[in-house]
Amino acid sequence: MESGTLVLILAFGIAVFFAVRLANRAAVANFQNFTDLLTAEADGLVTAEAGALSENLLPELRTLCGTESVHLVPVLETTATPPRSTEAEAIGERETYQLVGVDLIALQNLAAQRQVNRPWFDQTNASPATAGPAGAERDRFWQTFRDPRSAYVSGFLAERQYLRVGQDLPLLINDRVITLRVAGIIPVAPDQPQPPANLIVLDLPALQVLADRTGRLDRIEFVLDPGPERRERWQQLRLRLEAAAQGRWRVATPADRRAAGEQMTAAFRLNLTILSLLALVVGLYLVFQALDGAVIRRREEIAILRSLGVRPGEIQAAWLREAAVYGLLGGVLGLALGWLGAQGAVRWIGRTVNALYYATSAQAASLDLTETAIALGLAVATSLLAGWLPARTAAATPPAQILVRTGTSFAGAAWLRRPGWGALLLVLGVALTPLPALRLAGGARISWAAYLTALLWIGGAGILAGWVLQTMARKARRLGNYQATWRLALSQLAAPSGRHRLALAGLVAAVAMTAGMAILVSSFDTTMRGWIERTFQADLYISSDGAQSASTQNRIRPEVWRAIARHPAVAFANAVQVAEVRLPGGSTLLGGGDLRWFRDRTRTAWLARPADEAVFDAARNAGLCLVSEAFTARFQLGAGDEFDLPTPTGRQHLRIAGVFADYGNERGSITVERQHFARWFGDEQASSLILALHPGRNVEALRAELRAEHPGLAVYTNAYLRSEALRIFRQTFAITYALELIGIVVAVAGLGFTLMSLLLERRAELTTLRALGFTHREIAATTAWESLFTALAGVLTGLALSLALGWLLIARVNRQTFGWTLETDHPWGQLGALAFLVIASAAAVGWLVGRQGARLPAEQEE
Amino acid sequence: MKLPFGLARAFALTFAITAAPSPARAQATTADGFALPQPGRKFVFPRDHGSHPEFKIEWWYLTGHLYATNSTMGTPPRRFGFQATFFRRAAPRAGGPGIESANFGTGNIYLAHMALLDVTTGRFFHEERLNREGWDAGSATNSLAVHNGNWSLRLTDPVTNRMDLSGGIRAEVRFQLSLVPRKPLVVFGTNGVSRKAAEPEAASHYLTYPRLATQGTLSLGRETLAVAGEAWMDHEISSSQLGEGQVGWDWACLQLNDGRELMTYRMRRSDGSTDPFSSLSWVDASGRVVQQSARTFQWDPLAQWTSPHTRAVYPAGVRLTAADPIDGRRRTFTLEPLAADQELNGAGGGVPYWEGSCRVRDEAGREIGQAFLEMTGYAGSLRRTLE
Repeated sequence: MESGTLVLILAFGIAVFFAVRLANRAAVANFQNFTDLLTAEADGLVTAEAGALSENLLPELRTLCGTESVHLVPVLETTATPPRSTEAEAIGERETYQLVGVDLIALQNLAAQRQVNRPWFDQTNASPATAGPAGAERDRFWQTFRDPRSAYVSGFLAERQYLRVGQDLPLLINDRVITLRVAGIIPVAPDQPQPPANLIVLDLPALQVLADRTGRLDRIEFVLDPGPERRERWQQLRLRLEAAAQGRWRVATPADRRAAGEQMTAAFRLNLTILSLLALVVGLYLVFQALDGAVIRRREEIAILRSLGVRPGEIQAAWLREAAVYGLLGGVLGLALGWLGAQGAVRWIGRTVNALYYATSAQAASLDLTETAIALGLAVATSLLAGWLPARTAAATPPAQILVRTGTSFAGAAWLRRPGWGALLLVLGVALTPLPALRLAGGARISWAAYLTALLWIGGAGILAGWVLQTMARKARRLGNYQATWRLALSQLAAPSGRHRLALAGLVAAVAMTAGMAILVSSFDTTMRGWIERTFQADLYISSDGAQSASTQNRIRPEVWRAIARHPAVAFANAVQVAEVRLPGGSTLLGGGDLRWFRDRTRTAWLARPADEAVFDAARNAGLCLVSEAFTARFQLGAGDEFDLPTPTGRQHLRIAGVFADYGNERGSITVERQHFARWFGDEQASSLILALHPGRNVEALRAELRAEHPGLAVYTNAYLRSEALRIFRQTFAITYALELIGIVVAVAGLGFTLMSLLLERRAELTTLRALGFTHREIAATTAWESLFTALAGVLTGLALSLALGWLLIARVNRQTFGWTLETDHPWGQLGALAFLVIASAAAVGWLVGRQGARLPAEQEE
Repeated sequence: MKLPFGLARAFALTFAITAAPSPARAQATTADGFALPQPGRKFVFPRDHGSHPEFKIEWWYLTGHLYATNSTMGTPPRRFGFQATFFRRAAPRAGGPGIESANFGTGNIYLAHMALLDVTTGRFFHEERLNREGWDAGSATNSLAVHNGNWSLRLTDPVTNRMDLSGGIRAEVRFQLSLVPRKPLVVFGTNGVSRKAAEPEAASHYLTYPRLATQGTLSLGRETLAVAGEAWMDHEISSSQLGEGQVGWDWACLQLNDGRELMTYRMRRSDGSTDPFSSLSWVDASGRVVQQSARTFQWDPLAQWTSPHTRAVYPAGVRLTAADPIDGRRRTFTLEPLAADQELNGAGGGVPYWEGSCRVRDEAGREIGQAFLEMTGYAGSLRRTLE
């Protein structure tokens, strides 16, 4: 039974790790061009330096290609959502569709399209035999081709929504509902994966019109015809294209784009992997305890082997082999569980990536050989590491021991008995804290020193906890002198065994990590709430009702937002435009708005307040910008610094006039006056419109009026947006709680294991106690006290450590990784509840183990 | 007389004709408002080398024979056959204009075919391309300037009527050719109208340069050759081509060593017979045309060749017998393909057809010229494909 539990524990730890890794991989793998499905992979791409490309560049690019046999595939992408079905739907709950516009005629020239499983232009619901005469087929071609609403959906979507050719598909694009018509299923070549359910393909000019982006392209893919030296031919073409670009476009390869996507989420994925490893770290303790227990139980067996002349080295090797087998079994089971878990995790990670970074359509995680090998290796390594000391104990078991049977408890881990070591680790950890983070390409940072500090502190506190337990037990023994169970329990703890200390260290690690994370999240929560309250000062926030996440591209047309801004109830309207821009250190967000808003309409949390008023004056603020704190951390630029911003109309030289706190995104943001933005980008579509009303005007009435007039717009009140922002934020942190809870469960279970081992070791003592008249109840109470005290020591040390870890996470990890300054907030209630939960469950587990132990058969007299 | 056959299936079908019962009187437009060829039309150049958007269908069709000019002494020059064709097809007038976009139009669709036969190796390369009117395909209306992707044909000298052709086949073949007419432009048909069937709509303006001096470069893989030779160019303008009961056709252009040319098309009916609207024309050395009716010439398929790509069975060469307008004597020309496999096999789902270069032999077996032969409707009944 115990072997089974051991394998299960290992499997569990591995499963969590494996699931998170696979899901991570899926979310990143998904950062590919949706058009890869149609073109197979392009040789290269041309995108704008910032914003959109003009389609009028196409003839010039074709000329640059000369006689090269290359297909230029212009692409436009946008997002859409189903129109809302009820008023009450929360932000981010509706599906986001990825709309891809390509030239459906030219597409047919690509080699990849030669073997698609169905034609683009002749899809009907009828079987081919009844599809009608050729004239009908010809008419269908022109009809489908010239109908701007013709849309191709994935097989998944058609199946899920029972869509048929000719059926209407209403979608919210920008600020209005547009009814598309299903023209068929997206044809797929045999060696291409099925298109994701959320992909919808339209003819390019149709999507340009529907998305109000006439004449614009997101990118142009270059697909060379197969033939000799394809790579070299692309390199030559690339040089020609780059030489002629003059800042008007940028040439890249799909691999460059994927790398950029991976960089964007590198920190997020690394943090998730580290969290998933925590479950494994706590699991390590548990495996150790279980293996150690097994050594105790099988002492007789070992002693006999020793008596028969088996050398200690052989016994040690045998135990290590056993540990490796457990590791392997646990690993394999973990892979299976993890793969199942990954299917669920991938949706969560996909949703988070979608909400925070870019549109991904991760639906399922696929098995990856490297990840499988890593997970399996980790499982075996963990169990070997955990088995090392028990194996040594086994090897050191003297044959005579079996006769003495006084129960020398676990003698190994002498270091656990030396508080000095613990203190040294703590000090070492402190010494590491000032070290800076490792900067990755693309601006991501890894707080390696802080993670190492956390590890040293957890180890150090684990050692010190034994001393705490001992001290507590000695002091407490004087209190409840009258009770036998109390005294007996404390006498065990006054000189805690190595096994006690180890269980305690596991508990300390779990409690400290959980509580530390709780402190981080609570601080985040408090900071966010404060920031939201200060920032969201307006009366109404308007965006496209399709704006569901960071990846959304739905906008409000200028004629619409201007009309709303002129409403007599509106005192101040701030139309905000947003575009992604690439700076040398990575990509970031550029916002255009009315900068007076920062001064007059919101209580901006300034980290560097603008020195003069020029930045707030549209007539004087050309060349000035405000940046977020995350921007300064990421690009290492501060107030007064200058940099060049790429825009469709060339590079703009900007000086940072001020730095403000913004917890909206960790990639940083730049804000300039909207009129400059509009001029640079030749675009006036707003991503949101923020309204302050004249005093006394009824906010709800205006909201109702605007909703009725513009069904495609989402009009949020201040209170609603605040609560939604917090909800989304908390949803993002949900997984951290889940992972921490696993740690607690594993640690308490580990304590149970330890107590069971100790009781087994003390079977002779139990026999004596029973002979002295101890009832089962009393024995159970003794174990419960023992467990409770151990838990108490663990909780106290763990909570103390969590305060330090909380500081580390807030001041170092978070500051270094995301560039956010958080206000520390200790969730005392939550920490108290955690302490109570751990102590109570430890006492309960102790009681159960004690009862179980009391029923052990008495030692046989020999 | 050529019809675009190797096009992607959906597009191919747009060329099919819904044969309407024919009123006897001359019409100016089709039922859906496209112009019809009118007798006596005065052609104005270079404008009429350009596109005629008022008509539904139009093509510029080049076929020719090339020889490497830098071959070593003593060895016969390497020989090639090439085809370069540009088609335009207008959208139906009914059903509204669709989206108006200069770069991504819906008013016309452009199809193009390129093919090359390397006679020495017997390798046949071909590619078809489909594009909408816009940034990557189009045709000027004031002169000859038609392009489709990186393929183009342009009139570059209105005085000599020199044209430049830039073409290729995927990444394997590239050619840059300049073509200068050796003879004046020929207008086939009667009074400027070439009839294809009984229906008044089934007619075209059929303009041809029967012999163009051709030279330029040809790249084949890593090899680049200087080439020279002769080509044939058709420019055909119509709004409808096929008549009721016609299942396919054979077409050939012969360039004889005596400086004369022949052009013939044989419309094949469903019962295997030759449609009376078939025709043969002689072009003499000065460019004068003598047209002969279907009754006066004979078209006899020789052996058979089965395509390994489509399993279609084509005649492997043709014997053509016609009366020579110089002396009225019956002359026999044997068209012998330079390679059996010159099938544009419609790999992208298009309709397959055979179009290839041939040598021409006389009754005595002497080689007396070169020809291009087109055979359509053999990969299953063309009629059935279209219907």
